Amino acid sequence: MTCDEARALLLDAQRGRLPADRRALLDAHVAGCEACAHEEAAETLLSELLEHRLPQHAAPLALKRRLAATWPEAVAPASPWWAGWRRALVPALALGVLLLAALPLYYPPSGGAGAVMVTEAVNDHLRLLASQHPLDIESGGMHQVKPWFEGRLDFAPVVRFLGDDDIPLRGGAIGYYLDRKAAVFVFHRRLHAITLLVFQADGLPWSRRGLETIGAVRAQVTASRGFNAIVWREGELGYALVSDVETPELRQLVGRLAPTS
Amino acid sequence: MAGEQRADAAALGHEALAYADTLYNLARYLTRSPTDAQDLVQETYARALSASHQFTPGSNLKAWLFRILRNTFLSQYRHERHNPTVGGLDTVAPATPAPESVQWLRGDVELDRLRKVVGEEIERALTSLSEEARTVILLDLEGLTEVEVAQVVGCAVGTVKSRLARARAALREKLRDYAP
Repeated sequence: MTCDEARALLLDAQRGRLPADRRALLDAHVAGCEACAHEEAAETLLSELLEHRLPQHAAPLALKRRLAATWPEAVAPASPWWAGWRRALVPALALGVLLLAALPLYYPPSGGAGAVMVTEAVNDHLRLLASQHPLDIESGGMHQVKPWFEGRLDFAPVVRFLGDDDIPLRGGAIGYYLDRKAAVFVFHRRLHAITLLVFQADGLPWSRRGLETIGAVRAQVTASRGFNAIVWREGELGYALVSDVETPELRQLVGRLAPTS
Repeated sequence: MAGEQRADAAALGHEALAYADTLYNLARYLTRSPTDAQDLVQETYARALSASHQFTPGSNLKAWLFRILRNTFLSQYRHERHNPTVGGLDTVAPATPAPESVQWLRGDVELDRLRKVVGEEIERALTSLSEEARTVILLDLEGLTEVEVAQVVGCAVGTVKSRLARARAALREKLRDYAP
């Protein structure tokens, strides 16, 4: 199999449209061809980006109502025996559905909105710990790190704590938080890494229950998979702090990162 | 008889309305405008209703609606807009790199950069592509087979395959500009 033939089959393979024998030939070629292996990885990645990150636009409710009004009603069948009950059942069922839909707004499940954000923050922290080159810029101090982000993000990360002898700033990087870019700052406390993610806050599933007041912010303080995490919002920016440092120390750090009043 | 047709149309309409979000999404990416997308979807449903007797029960309703939407777009919208598609994917090979020429994706460093692209940037890159490219990418994303895509856009299956390959290569090239 040539490279041209292999690349013509990559998408079919992704979609599961290749017969087993062709798939085996393709796999054998890709295993021995670095260029085609990269093509396969890039095509797979592109599909993942399209499936998971491309915004999907839902039809406005008003449009749906207009469309529903466009189509004719079905011809009414002869009334069954339960037709008389329907008048009472429909509002009752509608109320039940409404209650079921509305309850999570008031009593969100423990694995709900805020948990997603904490999980992602811990994942980002783990990625940094596992990476051989976690930092795009090594620190010479916050005054060196913050300007480095200019032009690399479509927002300016506001970070008030510049690092000190106890918690020095190690550096920064461009990261990825859920569906958006994030400024990543890495501090150290003794031998422990502390990751601070700064990202645009709009459109994220912020938790509204069980928040603690730290300085002038309301923060979600929690633990996940052995890491302590504090997530909070300041206006248009969101912050997530993750580390295996003890929670009281992280709270103190949030107090220094957040506005005081 | 008229009652049966009316009932069939109503049943079809009930099923068709379930695709409102999907159709609107495609319309958004075709028209690049929320207002135009609403008009396009409404016109699509109006045409589908008037042609409901032509729909073959058991065939792919979503693909049928997509075809009506795209034909409506081509006949009513594209020529009125300021950014008409210049050429098509079948004719712009020199400007659109073939997959094998996308050198920048070679190597893990470049793949890492692509991983950092956010949804807004993918949307911007996609909407900057030609109408043909956007259409085949979105229809493929919707899970239509190459045969169904060919029916929607009115070309041969082989043409769909090559259009899709070129469209994806063009999108990857565009995303290169957004990667940090």
